[in-house]
Amino acid sequence: MSSSSTEALSRLLTPELLAQLERMELVSRKIFRGRMKGERRSKRKGQSVEFADFRNYVPGDDLRFIDWNLYARLDKLFLKMYLEEEDLHFYALLDDSLSMDFGDPTKLHYAKQLAAAVGFIGLCRSDRVRIESLGQTLRQPAPVLRGRHSLWRMVEYLEAIQAGDSVPLVDGVKNFCLRNSGKGILLFISDLMDKQGYESAFRFLLAQQMDIYVVHVLSPEELNPELQGDLRLIDCEDGEHAEITVSRPLLDRYQRTLATFVDSAREFCTRRGMTYLLTNTNIPVEHFVASYLRQRGLVR
Amino acid sequence: MQLILGFLNNALSWWHWLVLGAIPPLIIALYFLKLKRQSLEVPSTYLWRRTIEDLHVNSLWQRLRKSLLLFLQLLLIAIVMLACLRPSWQGRELVGERFIFLVDTSASMGATDLGPTRLEVVKQRVNELIDQMTSSDTAMLMSFSDRSRVEQEFTQNRRRLRRALAAVKLTHRTTNLDESLRYSAGRANPADSREGERDVMSVAEALPATLYIFSDGNVPDVADFSLGNLEPVYTRMGTDECQNIGITAFSAERHPEKPDRLQVFGRLRHFQQKETSDEQAVGIQVGVDVFLDDHLIDSREVQISEEGTGGIEFSMSDIDSGVLKMQLQAESRNDLAVDDVAYASVNRPKLSRVLLLTSGNDALHLALGTEQSQKLATVRHEAPGYLNDVNYQQQAEGGLYDLIIYDQCAPEKMPQANTLFIGQLPPMDSWTAGRVQSPVSIIDTDQTHPLMQFIEMGNVAVVEATPVSPPRGGTVLIDSDLVQENTTHAALFAIAPRERFEDAVLGFRLVDSAAGEVITNWPIRISFPLFMNNVLSYLGSAQRASQTFMNVQPGQPVIVQTDEPLQKIQVVSPDGSNLEVTRTGLGHFTFTDTEAIGVYKIKNTSASDTQQLFTVNLFDSRESNIWPQLELEIGHETVSVQATSAPTRREAWKYLLVVALAVALLEWYIFNRRVYL
Repeated sequence: MSSSSTEALSRLLTPELLAQLERMELVSRKIFRGRMKGERRSKRKGQSVEFADFRNYVPGDDLRFIDWNLYARLDKLFLKMYLEEEDLHFYALLDDSLSMDFGDPTKLHYAKQLAAAVGFIGLCRSDRVRIESLGQTLRQPAPVLRGRHSLWRMVEYLEAIQAGDSVPLVDGVKNFCLRNSGKGILLFISDLMDKQGYESAFRFLLAQQMDIYVVHVLSPEELNPELQGDLRLIDCEDGEHAEITVSRPLLDRYQRTLATFVDSAREFCTRRGMTYLLTNTNIPVEHFVASYLRQRGLVR
Repeated sequence: MQLILGFLNNALSWWHWLVLGAIPPLIIALYFLKLKRQSLEVPSTYLWRRTIEDLHVNSLWQRLRKSLLLFLQLLLIAIVMLACLRPSWQGRELVGERFIFLVDTSASMGATDLGPTRLEVVKQRVNELIDQMTSSDTAMLMSFSDRSRVEQEFTQNRRRLRRALAAVKLTHRTTNLDESLRYSAGRANPADSREGERDVMSVAEALPATLYIFSDGNVPDVADFSLGNLEPVYTRMGTDECQNIGITAFSAERHPEKPDRLQVFGRLRHFQQKETSDEQAVGIQVGVDVFLDDHLIDSREVQISEEGTGGIEFSMSDIDSGVLKMQLQAESRNDLAVDDVAYASVNRPKLSRVLLLTSGNDALHLALGTEQSQKLATVRHEAPGYLNDVNYQQQAEGGLYDLIIYDQCAPEKMPQANTLFIGQLPPMDSWTAGRVQSPVSIIDTDQTHPLMQFIEMGNVAVVEATPVSPPRGGTVLIDSDLVQENTTHAALFAIAPRERFEDAVLGFRLVDSAAGEVITNWPIRISFPLFMNNVLSYLGSAQRASQTFMNVQPGQPVIVQTDEPLQKIQVVSPDGSNLEVTRTGLGHFTFTDTEAIGVYKIKNTSASDTQQLFTVNLFDSRESNIWPQLELEIGHETVSVQATSAPTRREAWKYLLVVALAVALLEWYIFNRRVYL
């Protein structure tokens, strides 16, 4: 463990938060099929300590699972079946477009904190944690993390994510879906500021049949812009500009537009079974996790 | 090219124009170098673009708005340039800086040949002149009829002038320009410091003024007047076609022989332009109705003669009192209504009240006891001791008696009545008497005086007499050979005015009441009762006679005497309004509010019945003559009709600058409302 990793960890998660997160676990409304043995009950029968059923022995079955007591009584071979315990797949998808690099702290940093916090919960519960960003190419897959010891890798990986790749939201999501076909929980953190809209991107996610949580991060500057004068607003992503003369009516109108935007996103998500959460970078991550996410049932 | 240079050179020099002309390109240049917006990088313009999406929907308006500011700026500079070109139009302007508007409000200005009335047209004209006044001009407004009235002193405030003008009212009075001219001259000409001396110096600076006279010119010529610094401009109000038939006289008198008979006279006159052809003037018949107390009693056709006059005369009997009204049947065109009706009041004949104070004089008792005397007066006989009675003092002060005859006695204070002193001087220093002389021969009598009419004194002998000399203004009626200081002849009988009364003093006694001796044989002559009759009719009833048929012109004061000594009377005007009049110190009532034409009723405040009547009639042929005169005679000058204002150049640059200011304000407003939502 290098000192840079410690610093990176302290930037993302405080020790108090880590202690708090250790007591939590991720909850999925759906029961998924994992790939490895985990700490979760699965629909599949398999090897665990929890008995599920009996079945007749057929040649080739593992002799270890024959219930010898029954053979003694009934002189027949039965096979004991146990419930399989599986791991949970947790994905965090971060929007690392340039627009996320605004605010103090930046929205991206906030997204990283959030991903780290929820990811840590997953790691503690031996879930399969994978954190990706939209700008990530297919050739650089994100590491699959499991177990508490992977915290450092996760932190290092998160630190390495830098804003800059202005991949359209829909392309980023599509790539993510191609890379990760499995089921699980997806925490999608974005500001949804894409001029082509977020709807088609969400439709890709819906096709994955994941348990999707959309965290809409906005900075206070976006929620309550404190601008004045004649301004030429330049979009940091595509350089597009908008000329405005700030006035009370214009600001009121902006607020209405923002409210419409948020409402339509929430409605879109709710109608399609996704969980929508709006947050701004002023809300502490620990509070967001402990309060918002718990209310929405992502953690317990 | 020359034309353009000349056109542009009228207000500014060429380099001014050069500077001014450089401004529009400058504005356009500045417009293109318009406001540089501050750049600001934001996470995304996504929301902002959606916010201003609607604004882009009406981007045409946005674009227009931007160019609207440019357009307004260019318009502003264009207006300023236009103002610099000094555009103007031909207007009219008053000549001079100080103006006096004289508005005729006499009865003839109520003629309807011009507008609703002539006065209304005058008001319009004066209003137009006030509009033409520049801000530095001052003006004064006066109205005149038989008296003049300053409606508004010199002022630059046009609103006050207009308000004062609106308050000017038509009167029924006659016209006299004299007073208002003198007032105007006083305001325009400097006063002299030492009048009558050779080196006259002006104490004030001359303030020349233009005098606008709005009148029909039917005013008495103003004599002995110099306009000085006044520049008169006469505006003739009225049309040449106007004509008027007016009643110029209407009166009722008792027949001298038969007092119960009333003789009524009326006089009509037809006024029109003198040059009008004769056919119109000749043969006009005018219908006249005569009313007694509003009951039609007579209707006649009056023939107007070639001279334009016509008369009506008839007699009536058994009229004790009442109101006669004569009215024209207006078939012929008649532009002035105020003289189409006339009133005459008939009051009850009244007996004079005479007090005779004598210690016993048969001659006087006899002469005042005749039947003829009793028709004229009621005589009260009292002894001289009555002078000390409180009743006498009240009655004398209160003016109860018309005449008091003091026979060889005198009061301490002169009464409010006519007096006749016999053998005694009045208690006034102005009357002086010589020593008693004897014998006396009468030299001359003044038979032209009403007191001495038909009096023949040739056969009268007087034993002794005291020559009397009346105060200044008195008249000697009987001259004698008596000698008095400084005069060759001294008066035996003289009369002199005292306030509104007259005092007659006879220098000899009729009888010596103390000794019982006869002083003169006059009482047995026929001339004595005649004389007493004259005394009763002249000194006794002069006031009363005038009260029988009282008539005044509008605005003139009326002096009313009552039978009883009242403190207050009530006068009911023709319009029905009541006015209380308080007694003056002189024992009579003076009523001045006689503006309206018609019958005025005098009532006792305590009683409801009418006691006396008097009438107010125009009866002025100058007012009834409404044809407007072409000239006015003022002093030695003849003022002809002139235009009131001169053509002038009216500049428009002020108005253009106001428009430019408005454009600037509009631009400022649009600039501040930059965001349209």
